[in-house]
Amino acid sequence: MYAFTQHRPATVRQAASLLAKQEEAKLLAGGHTLIPTMKLRLAGPKHLVDLSKVEGLSGIEMKGRSLTIGAMTTHVEVQTSPVVRENIPALAELAGKIGDPAVRHRGTIGGSLANNDPNADYPAAALGLGATIITNKRRIPADEFFKGLFETALEPDEIVTKVQFPKVNKAAYVKFPNPASRYALVGVFVSKRSSEIRVVVTGAGANGVFRVTAFEEALKKRFGAKSLEGLTVPADGMASDIHGSAEYRAHLIGVLARRAVAAAG
Amino acid sequence: MAMTMNGQVQLSASREVVWAKLNDPEVLKSCIPGSEQFDRIAGNEFQAVATVKVGPVKARWKGKVRLSDLDPPNSYRISGEGEGGVAGFAKGGAKVSLSDKDGGTLLTYDVEAQIGGKLAQLGQRLINSAAKKTADDFFIKFAAAVTQPQ
Repeated sequence: MYAFTQHRPATVRQAASLLAKQEEAKLLAGGHTLIPTMKLRLAGPKHLVDLSKVEGLSGIEMKGRSLTIGAMTTHVEVQTSPVVRENIPALAELAGKIGDPAVRHRGTIGGSLANNDPNADYPAAALGLGATIITNKRRIPADEFFKGLFETALEPDEIVTKVQFPKVNKAAYVKFPNPASRYALVGVFVSKRSSEIRVVVTGAGANGVFRVTAFEEALKKRFGAKSLEGLTVPADGMASDIHGSAEYRAHLIGVLARRAVAAAG
Repeated sequence: MAMTMNGQVQLSASREVVWAKLNDPEVLKSCIPGSEQFDRIAGNEFQAVATVKVGPVKARWKGKVRLSDLDPPNSYRISGEGEGGVAGFAKGGAKVSLSDKDGGTLLTYDVEAQIGGKLAQLGQRLINSAAKKTADDFFIKFAAAVTQPQ
């Protein structure tokens, strides 16, 4: 690991100003992507702005028909929260399937969304539920937040503070995990909120999470696994690596989407 | 590990203009994502420095780039090898061919590269996607560069 200076701001405002002032500064949330990368010297930020002492960044709250989760809320807190389980059970289940116990106890929802790893689970939930990402500057709809491989709409000194999920009628997430890392080789999140249907795929697209509009249209006619029979996704634009070819991933999308719809009921 | 990638890009400029831009170090420098330096050291040899950032990984690469098999204004081979410190090393090349199409030029590229070191061990699930994104970013800028007046 290269030497760095750690900052522990107490407020979001202080954190943002540190981030803007220091060159080569990175935000530290749960650190389960950043710290291993630094240990291998694949990244060497000069400054780490640690968010662990910032007040008011974690917690789960249901207000009206929307569930708000603080950015520093860990995966295990979402997984075990009675509020999440009662209102959006698919989200609690998704959180419980992320990584391993160490990742789930340290990793945070804000960190995962800001990193936008193309194989991560949370981006699928955010886009799949039509969430709103709230930062120190503005509210960003999930549809405008994810900008491709590890890229988001976040500006360099912008910090995710909360994520707001609307309550949906039906939702489910099914993933085919890499057996070693538990990253999604392919994961499909489906949701239904009155007439709005979302089918979102993570792990498969070379540019990260994306919606499958053809599947969404088919499900608008009738929300059932049968509606997706015979529908496929082209292999063009899919990721390809030692774990699976583009064609294999495209095939898995169809299979997992049908399972997710069946699971959502 | 080995990596291959190929693709085609339609450019709205004549083959001669595209060829000239492909041989202009200033144009290449401005189009290569993260490029800090691209200086001619001899004939068709260049010294290059680029910072590559993919998610949490950030590495500064230094290396040499060479143009060979020049067949103006039809095709060349661009090859290079670089060191990214502890991140690893990469070497490889691309065959670039031009042909007339729809009043413009169709550029075809065929990349073969070898990547080693830590980046190769860890990055296997990402290298293809990252390479594709880098190529896409390059060609978005290059497509704009060829339509600019000389």
